[in-house]
Amino acid sequence: MTEPLTAMLVGLGLVFFLAGTLGLIRLPDTFSRLHALTKADNLGLGFIVLGLALQADDWNVLGKLVLIWAFALIAAGTSAQLVARSALRRKSTPSERQAP
Amino acid sequence: MPNERSARIELPLVLMLVLKRGALLAAVWLVLAGAGGDALLVGLLVVPVATWISLRLLPASGGVRLYRMLLFLPGFLWRSLLGGVDVAWRVFHPALPIRPGWIKEPVNLSDGGKVALGAELSLMPGTLVAGSDGPMLLVHVLDTRQHTADAVHVEEARIATLLAAAPGEPRS
Repeated sequence: MTEPLTAMLVGLGLVFFLAGTLGLIRLPDTFSRLHALTKADNLGLGFIVLGLALQADDWNVLGKLVLIWAFALIAAGTSAQLVARSALRRKSTPSERQAP
Repeated sequence: MPNERSARIELPLVLMLVLKRGALLAAVWLVLAGAGGDALLVGLLVVPVATWISLRLLPASGGVRLYRMLLFLPGFLWRSLLGGVDVAWRVFHPALPIRPGWIKEPVNLSDGGKVALGAELSLMPGTLVAGSDGPMLLVHVLDTRQHTADAVHVEEARIATLLAAAPGEPRS
């Protein structure tokens, strides 16, 4: 009974992964691209995890799914800051030179 | 004798922080390995070693208030949903409605608190933290028309309630 809901949530997750990738291509500089990658991909993984959680047989599988999302979330938040900081030091493209 | 008194208060607090760290890692182990007999035996060895490594890398200081974290979670999930939706409609929009810029905001948090705030803000609508310059947090803004400076301080206050004061430090 939960299959249609899982399909819907996973599909929604894929839309956000698509948004993250589209942002990577369309946005003009490193910082703006990081916005898309961090926020959209986090949401994409969140929806996929939620969808798969509905199919989990026991608490252990559920726990693993939640851990995957939690670790990806922490990694995304941390690595986005690190990439942004090193891009700020380099200021490689003209649009990035307006940085403070 | 104020020194003796404060020492007596601090020791159990550090012990509490160590136990908290161990309990958290034990929970992760249970999820990873399951609650079966053999996995529990290995866990008895792995969890203390992991706790020791964890404390070497990140010594027990103030830490995080776990129950406050649970209260914080629903709002955080909701705002990160808004953050993802906000950036998604912008990149799907044919005109790409963005106006990137920078803001610098003074933030009154410890270094660890700033990193946590930075990670959180990077998932909220329109903000991305690129480190700090002294007390100033450097925030990249996807659309300068949004009220992002206010958002920084709202999130700062939220993070501050999660952080417990370090042993021996006054609670601010």
